[in-house]
Amino acid sequence: MNSLARATSRAEEDEVEDLAARLAAAEEALAEEVRRSRALNRIAEAIGAGHDAETLVQTVVDGGVELTGAQFGAFFYKVIDQAGEGLMLYSLSGAPRSAFEGFPTPRGTAVFAPTFKGEGVVRSDDITRDPRYGRNPPHHGMPEGHLPVRSYLAVPVVTRAGDVLGGLFFGHPQPGRFGPRAESLAVGLAGQAAVAIESARTQEAAHVELGQRRDAEERLKFALEAGRLGSWELDVETRAYLASDICKANYGRAPDDDFGFADLVASVHPEDRPRMTAAIDDAIRHGADYDIEYRVCTPGGEVRWVHARGRAAQTADHGGARRMAGVSLDITERKRTEERQKLLLNELNHRVKNTLVSVQSIASQTLRTTDTPEAFRDAFEGRLMALSHTHDLLTQQNWQGASLREIFDFELEAFAARDRIAFDYARDVQLSPKATVALGMAIHELTTNALKYGALSAPGGAVRVAWGPEPDGSEPGGPESGGPGGPQLRLTWTERGGPPVVAPRRHGFGARLLEKGLAGELSAQVTLAYDSLGLVCTMRLPIRALEP
Amino acid sequence: MKTLAALKVLVVEDEALVSMLVEDMLSDLGCIVVGPAAELEEALRLASGADIDAALLDVNLGGRPIFPVADALRERGVPFAFASGYGEAGLSEGHKGATVLQKPFREADLRKVLEGLAAQSV
Repeated sequence: MNSLARATSRAEEDEVEDLAARLAAAEEALAEEVRRSRALNRIAEAIGAGHDAETLVQTVVDGGVELTGAQFGAFFYKVIDQAGEGLMLYSLSGAPRSAFEGFPTPRGTAVFAPTFKGEGVVRSDDITRDPRYGRNPPHHGMPEGHLPVRSYLAVPVVTRAGDVLGGLFFGHPQPGRFGPRAESLAVGLAGQAAVAIESARTQEAAHVELGQRRDAEERLKFALEAGRLGSWELDVETRAYLASDICKANYGRAPDDDFGFADLVASVHPEDRPRMTAAIDDAIRHGADYDIEYRVCTPGGEVRWVHARGRAAQTADHGGARRMAGVSLDITERKRTEERQKLLLNELNHRVKNTLVSVQSIASQTLRTTDTPEAFRDAFEGRLMALSHTHDLLTQQNWQGASLREIFDFELEAFAARDRIAFDYARDVQLSPKATVALGMAIHELTTNALKYGALSAPGGAVRVAWGPEPDGSEPGGPESGGPGGPQLRLTWTERGGPPVVAPRRHGFGARLLEKGLAGELSAQVTLAYDSLGLVCTMRLPIRALEP
Repeated sequence: MKTLAALKVLVVEDEALVSMLVEDMLSDLGCIVVGPAAELEEALRLASGADIDAALLDVNLGGRPIFPVADALRERGVPFAFASGYGEAGLSEGHKGATVLQKPFREADLRKVLEGLAAQSV
């Protein structure tokens, strides 16, 4: 072997060695690139998997640490809490949370500001030698106990709209670890993270809004149902009509029944229909409030009252209304109550007027049958009080009438001689309000007469009141003949022990009321017998005229 | 006053005190009282058959409306007036516009109404 050959072979050997080293380096770089590329793919997939924002952020930080070869990484990001306060949250990689828990969140220091303001990337081979480092109190650099960061890489995470979501921070205890390649990977990652976080937040917000809407809808539905309010909607142009279940029920329809606008109009009472359609037209054309009460005829043939309210929604260009919406309420009960009240008021008015005529009649007749103003006053007041007592009794009984014994007790209550009146009957009789008033006055007249001229005017006198079924049977023309008839009640008022009885010279008010008044009002037959032993009043009263 | 003398007036009224007052008033005016009828059947019988020149009808007869009696009188051409605590509001559709004597009333009111009825019957 000559020297040239040896020399050549040495050079070749060197070359081979060099080649091998370069090949190995290239292979390593390639392997590194493949590894990073795989990591990038994995991270991209994870980001795209649609996790919530928190999981996403963790994936991004872990991926960033792997891609940049950092020892530790952090993602500080801003959130707005429910109270509207801005908060800084963070995710860590390569270090336990305890490594940061004791420190305040990063502030807008000279080192951090460019990141949180979204101004650009901060990359330093040794951050402790950076001119921006250590210029802010109180720590003037990293607080004591902080992770030993020399190599520093910080990338703002900014949405396409320019909103800064937060910052990605990477660190390494050795200086000079992050090259341009690491920076560009981190920037790419930050871009992806921004898009993913934004989309996750949009989704979350949409979800929250959907939930709120659902809650609001539930609350509305509950309120409508609790208030028995039906809701409806009308498309002005197509006349398509949409009614809730309760709305349909207000018109006597089942939830499954078809109920269109034509059905609605047809179900309104014919007398109210023109008013209803006119009100709808007015609401659509002039934006008037639709507020109307009308009768509806249900398919079952029932007539109900419905109160409907609504409004036509004007279009933005004021080109007219496109839809009309509102509520409907079944007000049948209220209407019936109103009608009952009206009826009662009318009835009350009628009774008051009739009572006034009764008083007028008592006054007029008392005037005809008394000789002096004093006698008039005594007799008139007594009769007025008797009428008043009967009304009190009826009011106590809820104006349902009273029993015969109750009328006697009530009428005699004011008289001292009531223990001299004996009763004899097997069964008390329930009377209608009308019979109560009539007999009340009659008993008053008998009692006052007895006190003034009859048995009760003398110390030893007494009265016996007896009643029972008429022993002679029915009056002529019983029910079978179609005329007034049926069983009768016989009531006798017998006075004994008074002064000798003489027939009155003048036919008084009491006698007239008993003999003619009761005869007319209760179809009664009344006889006044001026027996020498005392007055005997016999009443034959048809039961059907007495009964409530 | 002369026009009312011996005028035969049917009185339909179910309350004793009221019919007694009307009877007195009519007697004072020189009229002859027919009735008073307190029941619908009796009132119908008198309205369609009795010899009468005019009638005074209580609108409500023991809870039953008087209108069949009014119809019977109209058929015979007998003038009548309603006496009512309800006023004109108590009248049925077919009798709106009829003469109404609002209760309570004075004798002078009754005379005016009767004079109107007597003029109709001539």
